[in-house]
Amino acid sequence: MKPAEFEHHAVDSVEEAVGLLTELADDDVKVLAGGQSLVPLLALRLASVGHLVDVNGVTELATIADGDGLAIGATVRHRQVERSPEVAAANPLLAAAVRRIGHAAIRNRGTIGGTVAHADPAAELPAVLTLLDGSVEVRGTGGGRTIAAADLFDGYFTTTLEPEELLTAVHVPALPAGTGWAVQQFSRRSGDYGIVTVLATLALDGDGRISAARVAYAGVDAVPLRSPVAETALVGQTASAELWTAVGHDAAVVLEPASDLNGSAEYRRHLAATLTARALQQASERAGVRA
Amino acid sequence: MRMVGAKVPRVEDRRILTGRGHYVDDLQLPRMLHAAFLRSPIAHGRVTHLDVEAARAAPGVHAVYTGADMRELSKPIRSPLSQGAVPEVYPLVTDTVRFVGDLVAMVVADSRYTAEDAVGMIDVEYADLPVVMDYEAALDPSVPPLFADLDSNVVHTATKESGDVDAAFAAADRIIEVTLSQHRIANVPIETRGLVADYDAGSGELTVHAATQSPQGLRLQLAQTLDQPMDRLRVLTQDVGGAFGLKGNIFREDFCVPIASRQLGRPVKWIEDRNEHLMASGHAREERIAARVAVTEAGDILGLTAALDLDMGAYPGMPFSAASFTGVIALLLPGPYKVRGYRCDTRVVATNKSTYVAYRGPWAMETFTRERLIDMVAAELGLDPAEVRRRNLLEGADEDRLITGPTVRGITTRECLDRALERIDYPAFRTEQEAARAEGRYLGIGMAAFIENAPGPKEMRPGGGFTGGESAKVRLEMDGALTVITAQSPHGQGHETTLAQLAADEMGVPFDSVRVVHGDTRLTPFNIIGTGGSRAATWGSGAVMVSTRKLREKVLAIAAGQLEIDPSDLQIVDGVVSPKGVPGKEIPLARLAGQMTLMPQTAPPGTDPNLMAEERFTGEETTGSGWSGGVHACIVEVDLGTGGVEIKRWVVVEDCGRIINPAIVDGQIRGGVAQGIGSVLYERIPYDSEGTFLAGTFMDYLLPTSAEIPPIEIVHIESPDDDGVGFRGVGEGGMIVAPATLTNAISDALAPFGARVTEQYLPPAEVLRLAGVVGAGAA
Ligand SMILES: Cc1cc2nc3c(=O)[nH]c(=O)nc-3n(C[C@H](O)[C@H](O)[C@H](O)COP(=O)(O)OP(=O)(O)OC[C@H]3O[C@@H](n4cnc5c(N)ncnc54)[C@H](O)[C@@H]3O)c2cc1C
Repeated sequence: MKPAEFEHHAVDSVEEAVGLLTELADDDVKVLAGGQSLVPLLALRLASVGHLVDVNGVTELATIADGDGLAIGATVRHRQVERSPEVAAANPLLAAAVRRIGHAAIRNRGTIGGTVAHADPAAELPAVLTLLDGSVEVRGTGGGRTIAAADLFDGYFTTTLEPEELLTAVHVPALPAGTGWAVQQFSRRSGDYGIVTVLATLALDGDGRISAARVAYAGVDAVPLRSPVAETALVGQTASAELWTAVGHDAAVVLEPASDLNGSAEYRRHLAATLTARALQQASERAGVRA
Repeated sequence: MRMVGAKVPRVEDRRILTGRGHYVDDLQLPRMLHAAFLRSPIAHGRVTHLDVEAARAAPGVHAVYTGADMRELSKPIRSPLSQGAVPEVYPLVTDTVRFVGDLVAMVVADSRYTAEDAVGMIDVEYADLPVVMDYEAALDPSVPPLFADLDSNVVHTATKESGDVDAAFAAADRIIEVTLSQHRIANVPIETRGLVADYDAGSGELTVHAATQSPQGLRLQLAQTLDQPMDRLRVLTQDVGGAFGLKGNIFREDFCVPIASRQLGRPVKWIEDRNEHLMASGHAREERIAARVAVTEAGDILGLTAALDLDMGAYPGMPFSAASFTGVIALLLPGPYKVRGYRCDTRVVATNKSTYVAYRGPWAMETFTRERLIDMVAAELGLDPAEVRRRNLLEGADEDRLITGPTVRGITTRECLDRALERIDYPAFRTEQEAARAEGRYLGIGMAAFIENAPGPKEMRPGGGFTGGESAKVRLEMDGALTVITAQSPHGQGHETTLAQLAADEMGVPFDSVRVVHGDTRLTPFNIIGTGGSRAATWGSGAVMVSTRKLREKVLAIAAGQLEIDPSDLQIVDGVVSPKGVPGKEIPLARLAGQMTLMPQTAPPGTDPNLMAEERFTGEETTGSGWSGGVHACIVEVDLGTGGVEIKRWVVVEDCGRIINPAIVDGQIRGGVAQGIGSVLYERIPYDSEGTFLAGTFMDYLLPTSAEIPPIEIVHIESPDDDGVGFRGVGEGGMIVAPATLTNAISDALAPFGARVTEQYLPPAEVLRLAGVVGAGAA
C-alpha cells in the first residue's frame, strides 16, 4: 500500500493550478484536495498519477460566502461547513448532511470541492446539490463557467468537469424560511457511507397542505437522484403518516439500485421506502406554517 | 497494601498511549532493506510463466526470490505439533497458487516503495484450476486434492462419543434437527504482522524482531526450517498491537524474510499492509454443525449428536493445525449440561481460502451451537429458555462431570445465570416485550452460558498439561529491585502489570520496584505457546509466584543467618526484611542484595548468595474447579424499517476465580464482547464463488467501533480457590459467549415471525429476510 511515484506541485493560486492542469494534461495529472478519497486509491495502486496539483494552499478557495445562498470555496473543509454559523442559519440541512460524512478526522481534511468532484454515488454533498438545484463554479485556462447540479453528475464517480478544469466553488441555495427539512440515512456503523440516504424539504400552507416538496436520494443509483414520483405525489396533499408511508413506497419501487455486500437491490428499496417516510415525517414536523 | 485484587493502573499505558511503545515497525536498523510480496490474484492455478528479470534489474532492488529460489534455501515447513494430513510446503509457492494472496515471489529493495514498484514489474501467468470454495466441493471425492501429495481435501476426521447415544434418542419425546453455521471472520489486530530479520555475517547470528505471541515458538520453528543453530538465533518481541490468536501462528512470510537477510547480509523489514492482512494473514471460524437433540416434552435434554465441518483454507496452520480446535469443540460442545448420550463427528476440509487461524476462543462454535440449540428446544417445546437451562444445568457437585469426561466440581454456571437474569430483570423485560410487540416494536432477550478449561480441572493437565507447566525467572537486583522474566509474551493483556502485582505481594516489595521482562528468547524460559489460550492467568501467574517464593526463601535464609534467628520469624515488608515485632533490626533488600552480589563470600553458611530463582509451576497443588465461565444476557430492539439491531443492554456475570486486577479483567471482557458483537452484526470475510477476495480494505470488512458497542455491565463471582493460585483465564470468554447471546436475542425479537436463526452473521438485510420483510435474495 505505497503509491507509485508521482510529482507533487503545491500551488498558491487558481491560475497556477489551472495552468498546470493544462500543461500536464497529457501526463496523468490530478488535483489533490483533502486526499481522503484520492490518497487511498493511490496507496492501493487502484489509481496512479504522474502529477498531483495540490490546491490546499490556495487561500482564495478556503472561504464561505453568504449572500444569494451560500458560496463555498472548493477547499473549505467539511468540518468548517458543519460548524459555520452562516451555514446553520442559511441552510441547516446542508450542515446536517455534512455531519454525516465519515468521522471527525475525515471531515477535518476532506473538502467540499473534493467530495463533489469525486462524485461518489453514496456521498451526501452531491445529493444536497441535486435536492436544492445547487451548482458549481469551475475554472479552466479559457475562463470560468457554472454547471448546474442537474448537469454535473454523469455516472459512477464521474462529473462533466473537463480534466483541465478546477472546481472553485459550490453554490447551495438557502432554505426558504419555514421550509422543513430532513436528512435520513442508514449505515451499518456510525461514520460509514449511507447505504441509502434520503434528503427532503417540505413547505406547508395555512391549511396543513403541502405547498412544495423536494426529495433526493444518494446510494440508490450511479448518481444522486431527485424523486419526481414523491414530489408530485406530495404537493397539494395534507400531511399525514399514511401519506408518508404511501409516498415512500411509491418513490422506492421505481428505484433501480445495485446490489453489494451490504444488501440487494430489494433491501435498498426497502430502506429507501422506510427512510423516505421517516424523512417526510421529520421535515413536516420542522416545517413552519406560513401565513 | 496488597496489590493482588487492586485496580492497579496498567504500567504499559503511559508508554503506549503517549506513543512511546516499541513496535516492530518502529525499528530502523542501519543498512536495512524492505520486502514486498507478489501475491496471487486468483484462488487456484498453476504458475505457467514467471519472469522476474525486469524486477531484478530495477534500480534499488537487491534481490527477487521465486518459489524455486526459496526451495533451495529452506527445508519443507513442518510443525512438530501438526495433526492430520500435512502437505509439503515451502515459503513461496513452487508451482501452484491456492488462494488469493498466496505467495508467488518476494522483492527486497531499498524502500517499500521501490519494492512494490518492482513487484509490479514481475511478469507472471497462471492457468486456472477448478476452485474448491465450500464444504460440498471439499467433501466431493471426485474433486482433486489441493495438494498432490494428499489423498483428499478432507485432511482430518475424528469421532468423540460418550454415554449411550441410542438409549438417549430412544427415550426422547422429540428429536430436533438443525444445521448451524458460523461464518469466516478475522482477528484484525490494529498492528498487522511484521518482522525485521537481522543476520550478522560476522557471528552467524540471526536476530528476528517479530510481532508474535510466541517468540520461543517462532525461534524453534525458524531453527528447524532454516537450519539455523539455536545458539545463534534470537527472537525479540516488544510491544505488540494485538493479535487475538493470529500471531501465535507462524507464517510462510516469517521464513522468507530471515532467509533474505541471511542471503544478503543486511537487515530486512517486512510490515504487512492492511490489504495483505485482510486477504492473507489468516482467517478464523467458518464451521458448521449438523445437530440432533433428543428431548423430553418437559425440556430434559437427553442426547446430542453433532457433525462438525471446519473449513481450514488451503495451507495448514502452524504450529497448531485446525484439527486441534475441532477436538476442543467436540470436548466442550455439551457444556455444563446433563446430557446422557453424545457423539460428535468432526471433519477438517481444505479449500482455496486463506489459512484458518486461532481467534480468541477458537472453539467458540461449541457455545454458539449449544446455546442456540437450547433456545430452539425451548421455542419448539413452548418453554422458557431460562427454565430449559436451569433444568439441564450441572450443579458443580463433587461427582459432576461433563459427559465428555472432565469433572466440573465447583462451577458456578447456575449462579451466574440467576445473577444475570436478576440483574437484567428478566420478568420485567418479558412484560415490556409484550407491550412493545403490541405497538409493533420488536424487543428480544438473549442469554448464553459457557465454561472454559482455563486451566481445567487437575485430571485434564497431569504434570502441568501439554507444556508441562511453565517457568519464570526472578532476580533481586543490587538496588533491591525485582526483575521478573516471564515466558508469557503479552500483546495487550497487561502482564507487565499483573505479574508485577503478584511478584510484589509474594516478595514483599513495592509494586514500582518490580520490572517484568518478556520477549527476548535469550532470557525467557521456553514456552511454545507464549501468550495464548487464556493460559497466563494460571500458568504465567503460578510460575511467577513459585519462583518468587523460592527467591524469598533464599533471601530469608540469608537474613536469618545474618540476624541469627529463624527464617519463620522474619517478614519482608516494603522491600525491608525485619524480625516480626522487633524494631531496629531491619535489613533493606538493597543492602542484602548488594552485599550478596559484590561479596558473595560473606553469605552465611548453608545459604545461596545467588539471588535468582527459576521454578516450574505445574499446577499440581491447585484443587479449584479449573473452569472459567459465565453467563451473558442482552436485550435488543430490531428495527423492521431498516434491519438495524440496537443493543439496549448487555449484562455479564463471570467467574474467573480470584481476580488479580479488576480493571484488566473488565477490559478483557469488554473487548471480547465487542468482537463477538462484531462477528454477529458487522464482520464477515467475503469470497465469491470463484474464490475472489472481496474485502480489500476496512470499507468492506466492518469492525465495530466504540460507537457500536453498548455499555457493558459486569458482575464478578470469585468462586473460592484454595492454594493461592486461584486465577483462571478470562481473555477469551467474552468472545466465546457473546455471539450466542446476541443471536439468541435477535432470534427472540424475531420470534413473532417464526424466524429460525441458524447462521451467526446477521447484518440488517439478513435480519429483514428472517423477519419475512424482504425476500431470500436480499442478504
Ligand atoms: C473512512 C472514510 C469515510 C468516508 N465517509 C464518507 C461519507 O460518509 N460520505 C462522503 O461523502 N464521503 C466520505 N468520505 C470521503 C470524504 O468525504 C472525502 O473527503 C471526499 O470524498 C473527497 O474530498 P477530498 O477533499 O478528500 O478530495 P481528494 O481525495 O483530494 O480528491 C478526490 C477527487 O476529487 C478530485 N478533486 C478534488 N478537489 C478538486 C477540485 N477542486 N477540482 C477538481 N477536482 C478535484 C481529485 O482529483 C480526486 O479525483 C470518507 C472517506 C473516508 C476515508
